[in-house]
Amino acid sequence: MIDKPRVLVIDNEEVVLDSCAQILEGGEYQMDTAKDGAYGLDLVRKLAPDLVFVDLRMPGMSGIEVLERIRDEYPLIVTIVITGYATISSAVEAMKSGAYDFLPKPFTPDEFRMVTKRGVERRRLLLETASLRRERELLKEHFAAIVSHELKSPLASVQQNLMALGHELSGVLNESQATRLGRMKGSIDVLLKLIHTWLRAYSTDVDSIRGSFQPTSINAVVAGALETARPHAVRKDIHIDAGLADPDIHVHGDEGTLVEALANLLGNAVKYSRSGSRVQVRLQAQADTLTISVIDVGIGIPKEDLPFVFSGLRAGRAGIDSQPGAGLGLAITRQIVLAHRGTISVESEPGKGSTFTISLPILQTPGDDRPVPTGTAEMGSPKEALA
Amino acid sequence: MSPQERLLIIDDDPDFVAGIVSILAGAGYQVDTAYNPKDGLQALQAKHYDLLLLDIMMGRGAEGVMIARKLRKDPKLRETPVLVITGIREQIAFLFPGGPLHPHFVPVDELVEKPVEPQLLLEKVDSLLKAAQARKAQTT
Repeated sequence: MIDKPRVLVIDNEEVVLDSCAQILEGGEYQMDTAKDGAYGLDLVRKLAPDLVFVDLRMPGMSGIEVLERIRDEYPLIVTIVITGYATISSAVEAMKSGAYDFLPKPFTPDEFRMVTKRGVERRRLLLETASLRRERELLKEHFAAIVSHELKSPLASVQQNLMALGHELSGVLNESQATRLGRMKGSIDVLLKLIHTWLRAYSTDVDSIRGSFQPTSINAVVAGALETARPHAVRKDIHIDAGLADPDIHVHGDEGTLVEALANLLGNAVKYSRSGSRVQVRLQAQADTLTISVIDVGIGIPKEDLPFVFSGLRAGRAGIDSQPGAGLGLAITRQIVLAHRGTISVESEPGKGSTFTISLPILQTPGDDRPVPTGTAEMGSPKEALA
Repeated sequence: MSPQERLLIIDDDPDFVAGIVSILAGAGYQVDTAYNPKDGLQALQAKHYDLLLLDIMMGRGAEGVMIARKLRKDPKLRETPVLVITGIREQIAFLFPGGPLHPHFVPVDELVEKPVEPQLLLEKVDSLLKAAQARKAQTT
């Protein structure tokens, strides 16, 4: 609506059309008129007006039908009903058919101007809302590209040059200089990881991974997750007890994202555990379901927070080593598990620890009716589990 | 420390390239740079390179993939080892859905993520050069 708002009046009475045109003439509107519904709809399609007045009672196509056609084809065009018999029922029916307002006949010039002004204002709001919605969708769609280029690339370049400097100046820098350089690298590393997590949560449609599902070894998933979680565990002197399934169990899934899901749980377990404690990974197969439990004896989760741990954007309280989280890891994990037609649950007691359990359908190989094995080797006593 | 191998790096981020070149030059490699796919392809045609370092996400999308495809089709260039350096691992996964993260563009290639530790970069470059030499010795 950069130009003057365009108003169309559809009415079979020429007197009404003329007086409407007169009232708005020379003002801030462009005015068009149509003598019947069919012609009116033609003009709607041709002129794309902002506001359309429709007489309810016309020979030929009824006002209600015109309203409904406009609503279906151009939901952003505002329609107002002109009705000679201002009964509530006809107005209500018109509103149901998409009209925004109604104007009872006969009306004064001021009444017509006021209703027009209100209708145009409504149109402005509708357009604004639509454009905001479009912007939001675009932003969401391109979030990955925007974030990766605007934030991640420059940070990666800075990091690359810090690394190069550290490499070139090794032996030249004194201890304090080397420490400071190391801290810079560390900070940028944290930022890069944070961006990575955000990207993951907002840009990846986890459902789309379903297309690439294939038989996936659960032992490979556990091994992959352990590899990811181990460096942090070693630094905190936390021992991760993880047994493998023997023989291996397979699920129908995507190894990369399953590793990510389990690594998130392990990462949390380590983060919220005290130095020197243990974290267990337990695999258990029952009938056609595989459960993977990650059990820690760390600080636990307050009861009132439990319902929200998977909902995302709730950064948990800082861990024992006061590392703030992005608060998205568990939300991503849940999305991944759901995409695999699995479930995830948590049990926790503050001060005693938490147990996160992922359940996944086991992939049954055709013609293989051996009992499904349970991985128990070096997995700690089953009694401790699921405390 | 006297390798005289000539390397080409194609990447549209000059700052990142600077951080890579200084590591490689420090190790004695001769390094040429190209900041867009077009210059990169021209350089590859004009000179012999012992190794190509290639960014995937350039310009309007995965233009690095386009270079890799051209390399693969060229009987001479396809023997050039390639070290793919990419910003985001997922983007590789998007480009090759269902495939392994490492796409194997040409017979000898490897993938590292940005940013890359100097020691890891030098190791990968060295092992790719050796692998390409071994392949050459086998076929001749």
